[in-house]
Amino acid sequence: MTRATRIFMSVIYWAFVVYVFVPLILMVVMGFKDSKFIGFPIRSWTLDWYTGVFSDTETLSVFGYSVVIAIASTAVSIFVGTWIAVLLDGRKFMGRAVIFGLTILPALVPGIISAIAFRIYARLLGIEPGMFAIIWSHAVHNVPFVTLVVIARLSTLPKSYTEAARDLGADPFVAFARVTLPYLMPAVIGASIFCLLLSFDDFVRSFFLGSYDPTLPVLIFAKLRSGMSPEINAIATVALVITAVLGIWAERSTRRLNKENA
Amino acid sequence: MTSEAASADHARTATAANAPETTDRTFWGRIVNWSPYRALVGLVYATPRRQFLILAVFPVLWVLTQHLGPMLQMARISLLDAYPPSPGVAPNFTFDNYARFFGESIFWMPFIRSLTFAATLSFATLIITYPVAYFLARHVSRNNRMFLLLLLLIPFWVGEIVRTYAIMILLGNNGAINLMLKWFGLIDRPIPFMYTGFSLSVGIIYLTALYMLLPLYSALEKLPKSYTEAAADLGAGAWTRFRRVTLPLTLEGIASGCTLVFLISTGFYATPVLLGGPSTTVFAETIAGFFHVAGDQWPTGAAFATIMFLTALVLTAVFNRLINALRKGETK
Repeated sequence: MTRATRIFMSVIYWAFVVYVFVPLILMVVMGFKDSKFIGFPIRSWTLDWYTGVFSDTETLSVFGYSVVIAIASTAVSIFVGTWIAVLLDGRKFMGRAVIFGLTILPALVPGIISAIAFRIYARLLGIEPGMFAIIWSHAVHNVPFVTLVVIARLSTLPKSYTEAARDLGADPFVAFARVTLPYLMPAVIGASIFCLLLSFDDFVRSFFLGSYDPTLPVLIFAKLRSGMSPEINAIATVALVITAVLGIWAERSTRRLNKENA
Repeated sequence: MTSEAASADHARTATAANAPETTDRTFWGRIVNWSPYRALVGLVYATPRRQFLILAVFPVLWVLTQHLGPMLQMARISLLDAYPPSPGVAPNFTFDNYARFFGESIFWMPFIRSLTFAATLSFATLIITYPVAYFLARHVSRNNRMFLLLLLLIPFWVGEIVRTYAIMILLGNNGAINLMLKWFGLIDRPIPFMYTGFSLSVGIIYLTALYMLLPLYSALEKLPKSYTEAAADLGAGAWTRFRRVTLPLTLEGIASGCTLVFLISTGFYATPVLLGGPSTTVFAETIAGFFHVAGDQWPTGAAFATIMFLTALVLTAVFNRLINALRKGETK
Protein backbone atom coordinates (compact mmCIF):
# COMPACT_ATOMS: atom_id res chain seq x y z
CA MET A 1 0.00 0.00 0.00
CA THR A 2 1.52 3.26 -1.04
CA ARG A 3 1.66 6.32 1.18
CA ALA A 4 -0.49 8.34 -1.20
CA THR A 5 -3.42 5.89 -1.16
CA ARG A 6 -3.19 5.61 2.61
CA ILE A 7 -3.51 9.37 2.98
CA PHE A 8 -6.26 9.47 0.37
CA MET A 9 -8.25 6.79 2.23
CA SER A 10 -7.92 8.52 5.57
CA VAL A 11 -9.11 11.77 4.01
CA ILE A 12 -12.21 9.93 2.76
CA TYR A 13 -12.81 8.48 6.22
CA TRP A 14 -12.56 11.84 7.96
CA ALA A 15 -14.73 13.46 5.30
CA PHE A 16 -17.34 10.82 6.09
CA VAL A 17 -17.04 11.54 9.81
CA VAL A 18 -17.62 15.23 9.07
CA TYR A 19 -20.62 14.30 6.91
CA VAL A 20 -22.29 12.29 9.69
CA PHE A 21 -21.49 14.72 12.51
CA VAL A 22 -21.92 18.17 10.98
CA PRO A 23 -25.72 18.08 10.50
CA LEU A 24 -26.20 17.01 14.11
CA ILE A 25 -23.78 19.61 15.44
CA LEU A 26 -25.54 22.33 13.43
CA MET A 27 -28.83 21.18 14.89
CA VAL A 28 -27.52 21.40 18.44
CA VAL A 29 -25.98 24.84 17.83
CA MET A 30 -29.19 26.17 16.28
CA GLY A 31 -30.97 25.46 19.56
CA PHE A 32 -28.99 28.34 21.08
CA LYS A 33 -30.16 30.91 18.54
CA ASP A 34 -31.94 33.93 20.03
CA SER A 35 -34.60 34.20 17.36
CA LYS A 36 -37.75 32.41 16.32
CA PHE A 37 -36.43 31.74 12.85
CA ILE A 38 -34.25 28.83 11.94
CA GLY A 39 -31.34 29.73 9.73
CA PHE A 40 -27.82 31.01 9.62
CA PRO A 41 -26.07 33.22 10.54
CA ILE A 42 -26.67 33.22 14.29
CA ARG A 43 -26.17 36.75 15.65
CA SER A 44 -27.25 36.45 19.27
CA TRP A 45 -27.37 33.47 21.57
CA THR A 46 -29.70 32.29 24.32
CA LEU A 47 -30.26 29.34 26.63
CA ASP A 48 -34.01 29.95 26.75
CA TRP A 49 -34.97 27.18 24.32
CA TYR A 50 -33.13 24.58 26.34
CA THR A 51 -34.43 25.75 29.71
CA GLY A 52 -37.85 25.88 28.05
CA VAL A 53 -37.72 22.12 27.39
CA PHE A 54 -37.21 21.34 31.06
CA SER A 55 -39.88 23.77 32.31
CA ASP A 56 -42.55 22.71 29.81
CA THR A 57 -44.60 20.04 31.55
CA GLU A 58 -46.13 18.86 28.28
CA THR A 59 -42.75 18.08 26.72
CA LEU A 60 -41.58 16.42 29.92
CA SER A 61 -44.63 14.17 30.03
CA VAL A 62 -43.99 13.19 26.40
CA PHE A 63 -40.45 12.22 27.42
CA GLY A 64 -41.86 10.12 30.23
CA TYR A 65 -44.42 8.50 27.92
CA SER A 66 -41.69 7.51 25.44
CA VAL A 67 -39.47 6.12 28.19
CA VAL A 68 -42.29 4.00 29.66
CA ILE A 69 -43.08 2.61 26.21
CA ALA A 70 -39.41 1.85 25.56
CA ILE A 71 -38.94 0.02 28.87
CA ALA A 72 -42.15 -2.00 28.65
CA SER A 73 -41.62 -3.08 25.04
CA THR A 74 -37.98 -3.97 25.72
CA ALA A 75 -38.97 -6.21 28.64
CA VAL A 76 -41.35 -8.17 26.39
CA SER A 77 -38.87 -8.38 23.49
CA ILE A 78 -36.09 -9.64 25.74
CA PHE A 79 -38.28 -12.33 27.27
CA VAL A 80 -39.67 -13.60 23.97
CA GLY A 81 -36.48 -13.15 21.95
CA THR A 82 -34.35 -15.04 24.45
CA TRP A 83 -36.88 -17.86 24.65
CA ILE A 84 -36.87 -18.25 20.85
CA ALA A 85 -33.05 -18.18 20.83
CA VAL A 86 -32.91 -20.98 23.42
CA LEU A 87 -35.31 -23.06 21.34
CA LEU A 88 -33.36 -22.54 18.11
CA ASP A 89 -29.84 -22.96 19.50
CA GLY A 90 -28.13 -26.26 18.83
CA ARG A 91 -31.30 -28.21 18.09
CA LYS A 92 -32.29 -29.86 14.88
CA PHE A 93 -36.00 -30.32 14.42
CA MET A 94 -38.57 -30.26 11.67
CA GLY A 95 -39.52 -26.72 10.76
CA ARG A 96 -36.55 -25.09 12.48
CA ALA A 97 -35.70 -23.06 9.37
CA VAL A 98 -39.34 -21.92 9.13
CA ILE A 99 -39.39 -20.79 12.76
CA PHE A 100 -36.12 -18.97 12.24
CA GLY A 101 -37.41 -17.24 9.10
CA LEU A 102 -40.62 -16.18 10.84
CA THR A 103 -38.63 -14.88 13.80
CA ILE A 104 -36.59 -12.61 11.52
CA LEU A 105 -39.62 -11.49 9.47
CA PRO A 106 -40.54 -8.32 11.43
CA ALA A 107 -37.01 -6.98 10.94
CA LEU A 108 -37.25 -7.37 7.16
CA VAL A 109 -40.63 -5.73 6.60
CA PRO A 110 -40.11 -2.11 5.45
CA GLY A 111 -41.19 0.43 8.08
CA ILE A 112 -44.40 1.77 6.58
CA ILE A 113 -45.71 -1.72 5.73
CA SER A 114 -44.86 -2.99 9.19
CA ALA A 115 -46.73 -0.06 10.75
CA ILE A 116 -49.93 -0.50 8.78
CA ALA A 117 -49.86 -4.30 9.16
CA PHE A 118 -49.70 -3.78 12.94
CA ARG A 119 -52.47 -1.18 12.70
CA ILE A 120 -54.72 -3.64 10.86
CA TYR A 121 -53.88 -6.52 13.18
CA ALA A 122 -54.43 -4.39 16.28
CA ARG A 123 -57.99 -3.88 15.11
CA LEU A 124 -58.45 -7.63 14.67
CA LEU A 125 -57.14 -8.23 18.19
CA GLY A 126 -59.33 -5.44 19.54
CA ILE A 127 -56.39 -3.28 20.68
CA GLU A 128 -57.33 0.39 20.58
CA PRO A 129 -54.68 2.82 19.29
CA GLY A 130 -52.72 4.15 22.24
CA MET A 131 -49.96 3.29 24.63
CA PHE A 132 -50.62 -0.43 24.77
CA ALA A 133 -50.78 -0.73 20.99
CA ILE A 134 -47.43 1.09 20.62
CA ILE A 135 -45.79 -1.11 23.26
CA TRP A 136 -47.11 -4.21 21.54
CA SER A 137 -45.89 -3.20 18.07
CA HIS A 138 -42.46 -2.17 19.34
CA ALA A 139 -42.15 -5.42 21.27
CA VAL A 140 -42.95 -7.59 18.25
CA HIS A 141 -40.75 -5.53 15.95
CA ASN A 142 -37.73 -5.80 18.27
CA VAL A 143 -37.88 -9.56 18.96
CA PRO A 144 -35.70 -10.51 15.93
CA PHE A 145 -32.83 -8.31 17.08
CA VAL A 146 -32.87 -9.90 20.54
CA THR A 147 -32.95 -13.41 19.10
CA LEU A 148 -30.05 -12.72 16.72
CA VAL A 149 -27.84 -11.22 19.44
CA VAL A 150 -28.65 -13.89 22.04
CA ILE A 151 -28.27 -16.81 19.63
CA ALA A 152 -24.82 -15.56 18.62
CA ARG A 153 -23.78 -15.57 22.27
CA LEU A 154 -25.44 -18.94 22.97
CA SER A 155 -23.49 -20.59 20.17
CA THR A 156 -20.25 -19.77 22.00
CA LEU A 157 -21.37 -21.38 25.28
CA PRO A 158 -19.35 -24.60 25.72
CA LYS A 159 -21.67 -27.55 26.11
CA SER A 160 -19.57 -28.82 29.02
CA TYR A 161 -20.78 -25.92 31.21
CA THR A 162 -24.41 -27.03 31.34
CA GLU A 163 -23.41 -30.70 31.30
CA ALA A 164 -21.28 -30.13 34.40
CA ALA A 165 -24.21 -28.46 36.11
CA ARG A 166 -26.46 -31.38 35.23
CA ASP A 167 -23.85 -33.89 36.51
CA LEU A 168 -23.77 -32.01 39.80
CA GLY A 169 -27.50 -32.57 40.16
CA ALA A 170 -29.06 -29.43 38.72
CA ASP A 171 -32.31 -29.98 36.84
CA PRO A 172 -32.45 -28.40 33.35
CA PHE A 173 -34.26 -25.32 34.62
CA VAL A 174 -31.73 -24.64 37.38
CA ALA A 175 -28.89 -25.29 34.93
CA PHE A 176 -30.45 -22.71 32.61
CA ALA A 177 -31.03 -20.12 35.32
CA ARG A 178 -27.65 -20.46 37.01
CA VAL A 179 -25.29 -21.34 34.14
CA THR A 180 -26.78 -20.37 30.76
CA LEU A 181 -28.50 -17.15 31.82
CA PRO A 182 -25.46 -15.57 33.55
CA TYR A 183 -23.40 -16.47 30.49
CA LEU A 184 -25.97 -14.71 28.29
CA MET A 185 -25.99 -11.51 30.34
CA PRO A 186 -23.68 -9.43 28.07
CA ALA A 187 -25.87 -10.29 25.09
CA VAL A 188 -29.06 -9.60 27.02
CA ILE A 189 -27.81 -6.22 28.23
CA GLY A 190 -26.59 -5.26 24.77
CA ALA A 191 -29.88 -6.33 23.20
CA SER A 192 -31.86 -4.44 25.87
CA ILE A 193 -30.13 -1.16 25.15
CA PHE A 194 -30.55 -1.73 21.45
CA CYS A 195 -34.29 -2.33 21.92
CA LEU A 196 -34.61 0.74 24.16
CA LEU A 197 -33.00 2.86 21.46
CA LEU A 198 -35.12 1.35 18.67
CA SER A 199 -38.30 1.95 20.61
CA PHE A 200 -37.37 5.43 21.84
CA ASP A 201 -36.46 6.54 18.30
CA ASP A 202 -39.25 4.76 16.45
CA PHE A 203 -41.53 7.04 14.50
CA VAL A 204 -43.59 5.12 12.00
CA ARG A 205 -45.14 2.53 14.36
CA SER A 206 -45.73 5.08 17.12
CA PHE A 207 -47.37 7.37 14.55
CA PHE A 208 -49.81 4.82 13.15
CA LEU A 209 -50.62 3.02 16.42
CA GLY A 210 -50.74 6.04 18.71
CA SER A 211 -53.79 7.97 19.81
CA TYR A 212 -53.68 11.68 20.70
CA ASP A 213 -50.72 11.31 23.08
CA PRO A 214 -47.55 11.61 20.99
CA THR A 215 -44.25 9.88 21.67
CA LEU A 216 -41.17 12.08 21.37
CA PRO A 217 -40.45 11.49 17.65
CA VAL A 218 -44.15 11.95 16.86
CA LEU A 219 -44.15 15.24 18.81
CA ILE A 220 -41.10 16.49 16.90
CA PHE A 221 -42.71 15.46 13.61
CA ALA A 222 -45.95 17.27 14.46
CA LYS A 223 -44.09 20.42 15.47
CA LEU A 224 -41.96 20.28 12.30
CA ARG A 225 -45.05 20.14 10.13
CA SER A 226 -46.25 23.42 11.60
CA GLY A 227 -42.86 25.07 11.08
CA MET A 228 -39.23 24.93 12.16
CA SER A 229 -38.26 26.63 15.42
CA PRO A 230 -35.25 26.51 17.76
CA GLU A 231 -37.62 24.97 20.31
CA ILE A 232 -37.62 21.79 18.20
CA ASN A 233 -33.83 21.89 18.09
CA ALA A 234 -33.71 21.94 21.87
CA ILE A 235 -36.15 19.01 22.20
CA ALA A 236 -34.34 17.01 19.51
CA THR A 237 -30.99 17.73 21.16
CA VAL A 238 -32.20 16.36 24.48
CA ALA A 239 -33.40 13.22 22.66
CA LEU A 240 -30.04 13.02 20.89
CA VAL A 241 -28.10 13.26 24.15
CA ILE A 242 -30.22 10.53 25.75
CA THR A 243 -29.68 8.14 22.84
CA ALA A 244 -25.97 8.87 22.51
CA VAL A 245 -25.34 8.36 26.24
CA LEU A 246 -27.35 5.12 26.25
CA GLY A 247 -25.49 3.88 23.20
CA ILE A 248 -22.02 4.64 24.49
CA TRP A 249 -22.85 3.15 27.85
CA ALA A 250 -24.14 -0.02 26.19
CA GLU A 251 -21.04 -0.30 24.05
CA ARG A 252 -18.79 0.03 27.09
CA SER A 253 -20.71 -2.28 29.39
CA THR A 254 -21.07 -5.09 26.84
CA ARG A 255 -17.40 -4.90 25.98
CA ARG A 256 -16.42 -5.07 29.66
CA LEU A 257 -18.73 -8.01 30.31
CA ASN A 258 -17.46 -9.76 27.20
CA LYS A 259 -13.91 -9.40 28.45
CA GLU A 260 -14.79 -10.75 31.89
CA ASN A 261 -16.50 -13.81 30.47
CA ALA A 262 -13.98 -14.49 27.73
CA MET B 1 -16.36 -9.24 67.11
CA THR B 2 -19.13 -7.80 69.31
CA SER B 3 -21.01 -10.11 71.57
CA GLU B 4 -24.21 -9.60 69.60
CA ALA B 5 -22.61 -10.67 66.37
CA ALA B 6 -21.00 -13.60 68.10
CA SER B 7 -24.32 -14.90 69.41
CA ALA B 8 -25.96 -14.46 66.02
CA ASP B 9 -23.11 -16.40 64.51
CA HIS B 10 -23.51 -19.12 67.11
CA ALA B 11 -27.25 -19.34 66.43
CA ARG B 12 -26.60 -19.80 62.71
CA THR B 13 -24.17 -22.68 63.23
CA ALA B 14 -26.61 -24.26 65.66
CA THR B 15 -29.50 -24.27 63.17
CA ALA B 16 -27.24 -25.53 60.42
CA ALA B 17 -26.12 -28.40 62.63
CA ASN B 18 -29.67 -29.31 63.66
CA ALA B 19 -31.10 -29.18 60.17
CA PRO B 20 -31.36 -32.39 58.14
CA GLU B 21 -28.51 -32.90 55.72
CA THR B 22 -30.53 -32.43 52.53
CA THR B 23 -31.76 -28.94 53.48
CA ASP B 24 -30.00 -26.20 51.58
CA ARG B 25 -30.88 -22.80 52.98
CA THR B 26 -29.72 -20.78 49.98
CA PHE B 27 -32.20 -19.10 47.64
CA TRP B 28 -31.84 -21.79 44.99
CA GLY B 29 -31.77 -24.53 47.60
CA ARG B 30 -35.14 -23.44 48.92
CA ILE B 31 -36.65 -23.33 45.45
CA VAL B 32 -35.27 -26.70 44.44
CA ASN B 33 -36.57 -28.34 47.61
CA TRP B 34 -39.98 -26.70 47.45
CA SER B 35 -42.40 -29.52 46.69
CA PRO B 36 -44.62 -27.76 44.06
CA TYR B 37 -41.43 -26.90 42.15
CA ARG B 38 -40.26 -30.52 42.29
CA ALA B 39 -43.63 -31.73 41.06
CA LEU B 40 -43.53 -29.21 38.18
CA VAL B 41 -39.99 -30.19 37.20
CA GLY B 42 -40.93 -33.86 37.31
CA LEU B 43 -43.87 -33.15 35.03
CA VAL B 44 -42.01 -30.95 32.55
CA TYR B 45 -38.81 -32.94 32.27
CA ALA B 46 -40.38 -36.41 32.34
CA THR B 47 -39.26 -37.18 28.78
CA PRO B 48 -37.01 -35.26 26.37
CA ARG B 49 -39.94 -35.10 23.97
CA ARG B 50 -42.23 -33.43 26.49
CA GLN B 51 -39.44 -31.07 27.51
CA PHE B 52 -38.99 -30.03 23.89
CA LEU B 53 -42.71 -29.56 23.31
CA ILE B 54 -43.08 -27.32 26.35
CA LEU B 55 -40.08 -25.28 25.24
CA ALA B 56 -41.37 -25.00 21.68
CA VAL B 57 -45.06 -24.23 22.19
CA PHE B 58 -44.72 -20.59 23.20
CA PRO B 59 -42.21 -19.48 20.52
CA VAL B 60 -44.14 -21.25 17.77
CA LEU B 61 -47.44 -19.68 18.82
CA TRP B 62 -45.74 -16.29 19.16
CA VAL B 63 -44.16 -16.20 15.70
CA LEU B 64 -47.32 -17.51 14.05
CA THR B 65 -49.73 -15.09 15.75
CA GLN B 66 -47.50 -12.04 16.21
CA HIS B 67 -44.99 -12.14 13.36
CA LEU B 68 -46.91 -13.87 10.57
CA GLY B 69 -50.41 -12.86 11.72
CA PRO B 70 -50.21 -9.14 10.88
CA MET B 71 -48.92 -9.87 7.37
CA LEU B 72 -51.63 -12.47 6.72
CA GLN B 73 -54.40 -10.23 8.02
CA MET B 74 -53.11 -7.42 5.81
CA ALA B 75 -53.18 -9.75 2.79
CA ARG B 76 -56.70 -10.92 3.71
CA ILE B 77 -58.09 -7.40 4.05
CA SER B 78 -56.56 -6.46 0.71
CA LEU B 79 -58.98 -8.93 -0.91
CA LEU B 80 -62.14 -7.57 0.76
CA ASP B 81 -64.48 -5.02 -0.79
CA ALA B 82 -65.08 -3.28 2.53
CA TYR B 83 -63.30 -3.14 5.86
CA PRO B 84 -64.15 -2.76 8.63
CA PRO B 85 -67.32 -4.66 7.66
CA SER B 86 -70.54 -2.75 8.15
CA PRO B 87 -72.85 -4.51 10.62
CA GLY B 88 -75.00 -7.16 9.02
CA VAL B 89 -73.21 -7.13 5.67
CA ALA B 90 -70.66 -9.84 4.96
CA PRO B 91 -67.71 -8.46 2.92
CA ASN B 92 -67.08 -10.03 -0.47
CA PHE B 93 -63.76 -11.16 -1.89
CA THR B 94 -62.52 -9.07 -4.78
CA PHE B 95 -59.39 -8.16 -6.70
CA ASP B 96 -60.60 -4.60 -7.29
CA ASN B 97 -58.10 -3.14 -4.82
CA TYR B 98 -55.24 -4.56 -6.84
CA ALA B 99 -56.84 -3.47 -10.11
CA ARG B 100 -57.02 0.10 -8.76
CA PHE B 101 -53.24 0.17 -8.52
CA PHE B 102 -52.68 -0.51 -12.20
CA GLY B 103 -55.53 1.74 -13.26
CA GLU B 104 -54.22 5.13 -12.17
CA SER B 105 -50.81 6.65 -12.69
CA ILE B 106 -51.02 8.63 -9.42
CA PHE B 107 -50.71 5.19 -7.79
CA TRP B 108 -48.09 3.38 -9.81
CA MET B 109 -45.89 6.41 -10.54
CA PRO B 110 -44.88 6.76 -6.85
CA PHE B 111 -44.37 3.00 -6.78
CA ILE B 112 -41.89 3.10 -9.68
CA ARG B 113 -40.29 6.19 -8.13
CA SER B 114 -39.87 4.45 -4.76
CA LEU B 115 -38.17 1.43 -6.32
CA THR B 116 -35.89 3.56 -8.53
CA PHE B 117 -34.99 5.76 -5.59
CA ALA B 118 -34.24 2.78 -3.38
CA ALA B 119 -32.09 1.07 -6.03
CA THR B 120 -30.16 4.23 -6.95
CA LEU B 121 -29.61 5.18 -3.34
CA SER B 122 -28.39 1.67 -2.50
CA PHE B 123 -25.81 2.02 -5.23
CA ALA B 124 -24.81 5.54 -4.17
CA THR B 125 -24.48 4.45 -0.54
CA LEU B 126 -22.30 1.54 -1.65
CA ILE B 127 -19.95 3.87 -3.56
CA ILE B 128 -19.74 6.29 -0.63
CA THR B 129 -19.22 3.79 2.18
CA TYR B 130 -16.96 1.24 0.47
CA PRO B 131 -13.78 3.35 0.80
CA VAL B 132 -14.68 4.14 4.41
CA ALA B 133 -15.16 0.46 5.26
CA TYR B 134 -11.98 -0.39 3.36
CA PHE B 135 -9.99 2.18 5.28
CA LEU B 136 -11.31 0.94 8.64
CA ALA B 137 -10.79 -2.74 7.92
CA ARG B 138 -7.44 -2.64 6.16
CA HIS B 139 -5.55 0.54 6.99
CA VAL B 140 -6.24 1.06 10.66
CA SER B 141 -4.46 -0.79 13.44
CA ARG B 142 -6.59 -3.09 15.56
CA ASN B 143 -6.46 -0.80 18.60
CA ASN B 144 -7.69 2.29 16.81
CA ARG B 145 -10.27 0.40 14.78
CA MET B 146 -12.88 0.08 17.54
CA PHE B 147 -12.61 3.76 18.37
CA LEU B 148 -12.91 4.92 14.76
CA LEU B 149 -15.85 2.58 14.19
CA LEU B 150 -17.57 3.78 17.36
CA LEU B 151 -17.13 7.35 16.22
CA LEU B 152 -19.27 6.52 13.18
CA LEU B 153 -21.81 4.53 15.20
CA ILE B 154 -22.77 7.32 17.60
CA PRO B 155 -24.66 9.50 15.09
CA PHE B 156 -26.53 6.44 13.86
CA TRP B 157 -28.09 5.76 17.24
CA VAL B 158 -29.96 9.03 16.87
CA GLY B 159 -33.48 8.52 15.58
CA GLU B 160 -34.91 8.93 12.09
CA ILE B 161 -36.83 12.15 12.82
CA VAL B 162 -33.99 13.95 14.58
CA ARG B 163 -31.54 13.15 11.81
CA THR B 164 -34.05 14.16 9.13
CA TYR B 165 -34.45 17.49 10.90
CA ALA B 166 -30.68 17.91 10.99
CA ILE B 167 -30.61 17.55 7.20
CA MET B 168 -33.38 20.16 6.90
CA ILE B 169 -31.19 22.64 8.79
CA LEU B 170 -28.20 21.78 6.64
CA LEU B 171 -29.96 22.20 3.29
CA GLY B 172 -32.56 24.92 3.96
CA ASN B 173 -32.57 28.26 2.15
CA ASN B 174 -30.98 29.78 5.25
CA GLY B 175 -29.12 26.57 5.89
CA ALA B 176 -25.44 25.98 6.43
CA ILE B 177 -24.59 25.05 2.84
CA ASN B 178 -26.29 28.06 1.28
CA LEU B 179 -24.65 30.32 3.86
CA MET B 180 -21.22 28.94 3.03
CA LEU B 181 -21.76 29.30 -0.71
CA LYS B 182 -22.81 32.92 -0.13
CA TRP B 183 -19.73 33.59 1.97
CA PHE B 184 -17.48 32.33 -0.77
CA GLY B 185 -19.36 34.52 -3.20
CA LEU B 186 -20.41 31.60 -5.37
CA ILE B 187 -24.11 32.45 -5.30
CA ASP B 188 -26.28 35.54 -4.78
CA ARG B 189 -29.56 33.87 -4.01
CA PRO B 190 -29.88 30.62 -2.05
CA ILE B 191 -30.15 27.42 -4.07
CA PRO B 192 -33.48 25.70 -3.27
CA PHE B 193 -32.15 22.31 -2.20
CA MET B 194 -35.12 21.44 -0.03
CA TYR B 195 -38.25 19.53 -1.12
CA THR B 196 -36.50 18.01 -4.12
CA GLY B 197 -35.16 14.60 -5.05
CA PHE B 198 -31.76 15.88 -4.02
CA SER B 199 -32.68 16.71 -0.41
CA LEU B 200 -34.58 13.43 -0.10
CA SER B 201 -31.56 11.48 -1.39
CA VAL B 202 -29.13 13.22 0.96
CA GLY B 203 -31.49 12.45 3.85
CA ILE B 204 -31.97 8.78 3.00
CA ILE B 205 -28.25 8.18 2.43
CA TYR B 206 -27.61 9.87 5.77
CA LEU B 207 -30.10 7.55 7.46
CA THR B 208 -29.02 4.28 5.86
CA ALA B 209 -25.24 4.57 5.40
CA LEU B 210 -24.50 2.49 8.49
CA TYR B 211 -26.51 -0.50 7.22
CA MET B 212 -24.19 -0.56 4.23
CA LEU B 213 -21.02 0.22 6.15
CA LEU B 214 -21.25 -2.59 8.70
CA PRO B 215 -21.69 -5.56 6.30
CA LEU B 216 -18.92 -4.17 4.07
CA TYR B 217 -16.66 -3.70 7.05
CA SER B 218 -17.13 -7.25 8.31
CA ALA B 219 -16.60 -8.71 4.81
CA LEU B 220 -13.40 -6.70 4.34
CA GLU B 221 -12.15 -7.54 7.80
CA LYS B 222 -12.52 -11.27 7.10
CA LEU B 223 -10.46 -11.00 3.91
CA PRO B 224 -6.86 -12.04 4.71
CA LYS B 225 -4.22 -9.46 3.77
CA SER B 226 -2.08 -12.23 2.27
CA TYR B 227 -4.53 -12.57 -0.65
CA THR B 228 -3.88 -9.09 -2.00
CA GLU B 229 -0.20 -9.41 -1.13
CA ALA B 230 0.00 -12.61 -3.17
CA ALA B 231 -1.69 -10.85 -6.08
CA ALA B 232 0.81 -8.00 -5.77
CA ASP B 233 3.72 -10.50 -5.80
CA LEU B 234 2.31 -11.96 -8.99
CA GLY B 235 2.50 -8.54 -10.54
CA ALA B 236 -1.07 -7.29 -10.24
CA GLY B 237 -1.48 -3.53 -10.01
CA ALA B 238 -3.68 -1.79 -7.45
CA TRP B 239 -6.74 -1.67 -9.72
CA THR B 240 -6.38 -5.30 -10.81
CA ARG B 241 -5.94 -6.41 -7.19
CA PHE B 242 -9.12 -4.59 -6.27
CA ARG B 243 -11.14 -5.84 -9.23
CA ARG B 244 -9.92 -9.45 -9.24
CA VAL B 245 -9.40 -10.14 -5.53
CA THR B 246 -10.98 -7.69 -3.09
CA LEU B 247 -14.22 -6.97 -4.93
CA PRO B 248 -15.20 -10.60 -5.73
CA LEU B 249 -14.41 -11.72 -2.19
CA THR B 250 -16.53 -8.98 -0.61
CA LEU B 251 -19.55 -9.53 -2.87
CA GLU B 252 -21.39 -11.17 0.02
CA GLY B 253 -21.06 -8.03 2.14
CA ILE B 254 -22.11 -5.89 -0.81
CA ALA B 255 -25.20 -8.06 -1.31
CA SER B 256 -26.35 -7.89 2.30
CA GLY B 257 -25.62 -4.17 2.55
CA CYS B 258 -27.58 -3.38 -0.60
CA THR B 259 -30.48 -5.61 0.49
CA LEU B 260 -30.71 -3.88 3.86
CA VAL B 261 -30.50 -0.37 2.44
CA PHE B 262 -33.04 -1.19 -0.27
CA LEU B 263 -35.61 -2.64 2.14
CA ILE B 264 -35.12 0.11 4.71
CA SER B 265 -35.28 3.00 2.27
CA THR B 266 -38.50 1.75 0.66
CA GLY B 267 -40.05 1.81 4.15
CA PHE B 268 -39.32 5.42 5.11
CA TYR B 269 -42.41 7.53 5.61
CA ALA B 270 -41.50 10.59 7.70
CA THR B 271 -38.34 11.42 5.76
CA PRO B 272 -40.07 11.79 2.35
CA VAL B 273 -42.85 13.80 4.01
CA LEU B 274 -40.36 16.22 5.57
CA LEU B 275 -37.60 16.36 2.95
CA GLY B 276 -39.46 15.64 -0.27
CA GLY B 277 -41.87 17.71 -2.29
CA PRO B 278 -44.86 17.19 -4.57
CA SER B 279 -42.59 15.91 -7.35
CA THR B 280 -41.03 13.24 -5.13
CA THR B 281 -44.10 11.54 -3.64
CA VAL B 282 -43.02 8.02 -2.79
CA PHE B 283 -45.19 4.94 -2.41
CA ALA B 284 -44.98 4.98 1.38
CA GLU B 285 -46.88 8.29 1.33
CA THR B 286 -49.46 6.85 -1.07
CA ILE B 287 -50.04 3.88 1.24
CA ALA B 288 -50.22 6.05 4.34
CA GLY B 289 -52.84 8.24 2.64
CA PHE B 290 -55.36 5.40 2.78
CA PHE B 291 -54.98 5.11 6.54
CA HIS B 292 -55.40 8.78 7.41
CA VAL B 293 -58.96 8.93 6.15
CA ALA B 294 -61.94 6.91 7.33
CA GLY B 295 -61.54 3.15 7.58
CA ASP B 296 -63.24 2.28 4.31
CA GLN B 297 -59.99 2.86 2.39
CA TRP B 298 -58.11 0.21 4.36
CA PRO B 299 -58.50 -2.61 1.81
CA THR B 300 -56.89 -0.49 -0.93
CA GLY B 301 -54.07 0.55 1.40
CA ALA B 302 -53.54 -3.07 2.40
CA ALA B 303 -53.45 -4.17 -1.25
CA PHE B 304 -50.88 -1.50 -2.08
CA ALA B 305 -48.73 -2.44 0.90
CA THR B 306 -48.90 -6.10 -0.13
CA ILE B 307 -47.83 -5.21 -3.68
CA MET B 308 -44.90 -3.23 -2.35
CA PHE B 309 -43.78 -5.88 0.13
CA LEU B 310 -43.91 -8.70 -2.41
CA THR B 311 -42.11 -6.64 -5.06
CA ALA B 312 -39.38 -5.64 -2.62
CA LEU B 313 -38.92 -9.28 -1.55
CA VAL B 314 -38.81 -10.58 -5.13
CA LEU B 315 -36.35 -7.87 -6.22
CA THR B 316 -33.98 -8.50 -3.32
CA ALA B 317 -34.19 -12.27 -3.87
CA VAL B 318 -33.35 -11.86 -7.58
CA PHE B 319 -30.53 -9.48 -6.69
CA ASN B 320 -29.03 -11.92 -4.20
CA ARG B 321 -29.32 -14.73 -6.77
CA LEU B 322 -27.43 -12.64 -9.30
CA ILE B 323 -24.69 -11.81 -6.83
CA ASN B 324 -24.40 -15.48 -5.93
CA ALA B 325 -24.06 -16.47 -9.58
CA LEU B 326 -21.45 -13.76 -9.98
CA ARG B 327 -19.50 -15.07 -7.00
CA LYS B 328 -19.50 -18.62 -8.37
CA GLY B 329 -18.38 -17.33 -11.77
CA GLU B 330 -15.54 -15.34 -10.27
CA THR B 331 -14.14 -18.11 -8.11
CA LYS B 332 -14.16 -20.69 -10.90
